[in-house]
Amino acid sequence: MSVNDVFLQLVTGLQLGAIYALIALGLTLIFGTLGVVNFAHGALYVIAIYAAVVIGGQIGFWAAVILVPLLLFVVGILMERGIIQYFYDRPHTDQILVTFGLALVIEEGAKAIFGANNIPYPIPDWGTGQMLFYGTGATIPGVPRFEEMPQVWMPFIEGMLFYPSWRIILIAVSFLAIGGLFALLQFTRFGLVVRAGMRDSEMLRFLGINITARFAIVFGLGALIAGIAGVFGGPITQVTPDVGMHLLVPSFLVVVIGGMGSLPGALLSAMLLGMALSFSAEYSAVQQIVIYLVAVVVLLVRPRGLMGKKGVLE
Amino acid sequence: MTDQNDDRNDKKSTQAGISRRDFLKAGTTTAVVAGTAPMFFVRGAWAEKHMEPIGNFPVKGKTVTFGFNVPQTGAYADEGADELRAYKLAVKHLNGGGGMLETLAPSSLTGQGVLGKKVDYVTGDTQTNPDAARTSARRMVERDGVIMYSGGSSSATAIAQQYLAQEMGIIFMCGLTHSNDTTGKDKRRYGFRHFFNAYMSGKALGPVLAGTYGEDRRAFHLTADYTWGHTQYDSIKQFTEAEGWTTVNNIMTPLGTTDYSQFLTAFLNSDADVLVLNHYGKDMVNSLTQAVQFGVRDMQKNGKDVQVVVPLYSRLMAQGAGAANIDGVFGSTNWNWTLQDPGSQAFVKSFEDEYGFPPSQAAQTCYVQTLLYANACERAGTFYPPEVIKALEDFKFTGAGPGEAIYRGADHQCFKDILVVQGKGPDEKQGEYDLLKIHQQVKRDDVMYPVDTFPGELGPYKPA
Repeated sequence: MSVNDVFLQLVTGLQLGAIYALIALGLTLIFGTLGVVNFAHGALYVIAIYAAVVIGGQIGFWAAVILVPLLLFVVGILMERGIIQYFYDRPHTDQILVTFGLALVIEEGAKAIFGANNIPYPIPDWGTGQMLFYGTGATIPGVPRFEEMPQVWMPFIEGMLFYPSWRIILIAVSFLAIGGLFALLQFTRFGLVVRAGMRDSEMLRFLGINITARFAIVFGLGALIAGIAGVFGGPITQVTPDVGMHLLVPSFLVVVIGGMGSLPGALLSAMLLGMALSFSAEYSAVQQIVIYLVAVVVLLVRPRGLMGKKGVLE
Repeated sequence: MTDQNDDRNDKKSTQAGISRRDFLKAGTTTAVVAGTAPMFFVRGAWAEKHMEPIGNFPVKGKTVTFGFNVPQTGAYADEGADELRAYKLAVKHLNGGGGMLETLAPSSLTGQGVLGKKVDYVTGDTQTNPDAARTSARRMVERDGVIMYSGGSSSATAIAQQYLAQEMGIIFMCGLTHSNDTTGKDKRRYGFRHFFNAYMSGKALGPVLAGTYGEDRRAFHLTADYTWGHTQYDSIKQFTEAEGWTTVNNIMTPLGTTDYSQFLTAFLNSDADVLVLNHYGKDMVNSLTQAVQFGVRDMQKNGKDVQVVVPLYSRLMAQGAGAANIDGVFGSTNWNWTLQDPGSQAFVKSFEDEYGFPPSQAAQTCYVQTLLYANACERAGTFYPPEVIKALEDFKFTGAGPGEAIYRGADHQCFKDILVVQGKGPDEKQGEYDLLKIHQQVKRDDVMYPVDTFPGELGPYKPA
């Protein structure tokens, strides 16, 4: 396997992991702060991709980039205030049942409105085509096709190679979103309160902090990230009503492998699963079960997940 | 004395114009004729009384119900939607005439139902899933009392339904199913396939691919991981290697995969210069579109332009992938709406009149299957499944597509001309649906193969 092969597989692994990370981050954020196992999180992604197609088609892609996450933020708060808040003190099984039911309603709703078939999600012109990566000493042919491509110099690459631009954009957006979320939780007073609430919400209430309102915002934030994932992930995951369910299982595995409620853990395990899928692609028998294999191995060695906290879901 | 009395009586009768003997003769004849006439005029009715019940035979009432079990959701939902349109049109024509009823020969169809009964139908969703397909089919048989059911578009669902058909004594007219197994190792007496198969695709495509791209090619396959994908990979490998190609690798991809990036990366990393996509429906749309996004069609490997091949093509898939992506891509197809034979044109016209756009190959095979079943019932004079099966076996017909077709009795595979097609680019196509160019119409005899090419037994005429 050459350096170029490894590079291509690494980028593919990052891209596969990026979409899992965006969905799993919302899941783990909601679980870590509210203790709610949200099976409707995939359905939030479904709302996001359809909203992105509609808004993108009617107004424009940049309008979708701004409006869809905001719309999902509102949907998240409504969902939390309307349904989820009544299940905080109930067993996880009740939470799973109600959120799973909600997911089915949203999926069937999307089917009723948009049909069961895939809807085209046109990538904006600037995101189509490929990005060119080239190494030291590579000669790039002086033809328009190559000259029009965004070009990135990578010293270790032999000659040149290409990768679809949109997938590189998805990776970049994912890291930006994840970085933004970490910054919000790490460097703001809001984040401080939320993190404290994750440790001991009862103590915060004693101190007179309205943790309930903040938790509703946290749920909205989780949904907002699903909104970002929908806008940029739609062209890759396809726009169908059942895509949320397809992404839900691997995303839950990401949360479990990373450690329930751990944001860095979710990011790490998403990338781990992405890499596992990418590097096992040529071995069909293994590839189709590889994420479960990784889960088994990690949980055998670290029962709480890669960065799981003691006492969470135990 | 007696003779005298008889003579007297005869004289009396003669005087009245009719003898007692004549009266008795006439009365007896009238009674016999009146009692049996319905059985002669409703063909097979007399025989039907002596046939034991099988499945939902005998059919009671004034209507006969067909079941149409298609994928309304899942990777093949586009094909399923078009199949359903075709089935509805077939029922309309069976009850009211029109379409291929004007061209199918030999035909006993009248356009007034089947065997004097109006045709009704029920529909189901296979979800592109064998378990769901069986459940749906069983419901049609047990709850709705269908005499025949039909549908596609996945070979896994077709094979599952075919086994169920044999168990329950209900004839299954396969919709779109392309796996060799359907009429190979999994062939069943109660299943019939009009659609062509992967072996025929390989036989037709191999020489064309080698002739166009050269004999020194290295192929990399991505294959849908179920019966159809497996047999298509085997067949394309067999016939391209026979032309001198080398098969570098094959990756099985789960049905319904949406992101093929990891598999395409493996192709990019290989030394193969041809990418063969053994995918259908949404899977093909996704894999081909993403292959183009990865720049596969703009590359050169081993000093040659990299080529993409889609062995099983359809207009619906070409439409989903877009003209720019399918430009010049080779594949094979069972039928295309641009064919000019009278049967195809009659079907296309009635389909367009009904729905406003031309039918797909999935629609054509389902429409033809419904008519062929109904025609077999008419020719057999009964809905009794073993007789209908015998009427279909080795049935030769024209007017349902180009050339003469034959339903081979030994494996229930229909043989007819098939098409090698090539995608049309944006500049070449003339209209929204003009996406495939017929490169070659391959004659029936050139894609036929001996029955023992594949193992398997049809099973008995009467279910156990």
